[in-house]
Amino acid sequence: MLFGLIAEKAGTDRLELQAGSLGELRGKLAQHINGFEELSHAIAVDRRVTHDDVPLSGEEEIAVLPPFAGG
Amino acid sequence: MNEPRTHKVKDIFVDGAIDPGFVGTSIAKHATRTDIGAHEIFLGQVRADVIEGRAVTAIEYTAYRAMALEQMTAIREEAFAKWPSMTCLHVHHSLGTIHAGELCFMVFASAPHRVQAREAVAWVVDRIKTGLPIFGKEILSDSAHTWKTNK
Repeated sequence: MLFGLIAEKAGTDRLELQAGSLGELRGKLAQHINGFEELSHAIAVDRRVTHDDVPLSGEEEIAVLPPFAGG
Repeated sequence: MNEPRTHKVKDIFVDGAIDPGFVGTSIAKHATRTDIGAHEIFLGQVRADVIEGRAVTAIEYTAYRAMALEQMTAIREEAFAKWPSMTCLHVHHSLGTIHAGELCFMVFASAPHRVQAREAVAWVVDRIKTGLPIFGKEILSDSAHTWKTNK
């Protein structure tokens, strides 16, 4: 799932990508979203922001989040 | 008003702006809780920031609801652990288009004494601003837009 500015840049709020790890997924996101590396973002795996290169089974809920702006 | 301090996930999101009248009604609902001695309320209002000569006319809020509500449940539990005498804590955040001058955020804590309520509200507001996946598209006067980022 993609949100906010990230969804706007990707032109969609949902992408289907195959990746065995979060690191691999980051690489694929960069291929699909122009300028992805320059966009400030965090990735949540099952609703928790995850910075490590964790393995992915394909069952996880993955969300790419631009900077938070609540309040 | 006697909120169960459980793991139950409460929905904080409301569609559209928060009606100022709702704030008054919320206060009135606590009249029967005579152990309360202090209410502290934070209200966020959409500000018409000027960005490169164009004023912000509205903010369109979206959220990753499932994660936001999980985070909010954790913040709520931590707040009651830090301020155990707090009587209740109510949080509301708008989604959708909120125009400049309208209310988009409310944090309302009640406690027997003012210090707990005041400290809890300040802490909860900060935690929500930094920790909840809520996104704000700032609509500018020329219909262009930018994306809000909390500092």
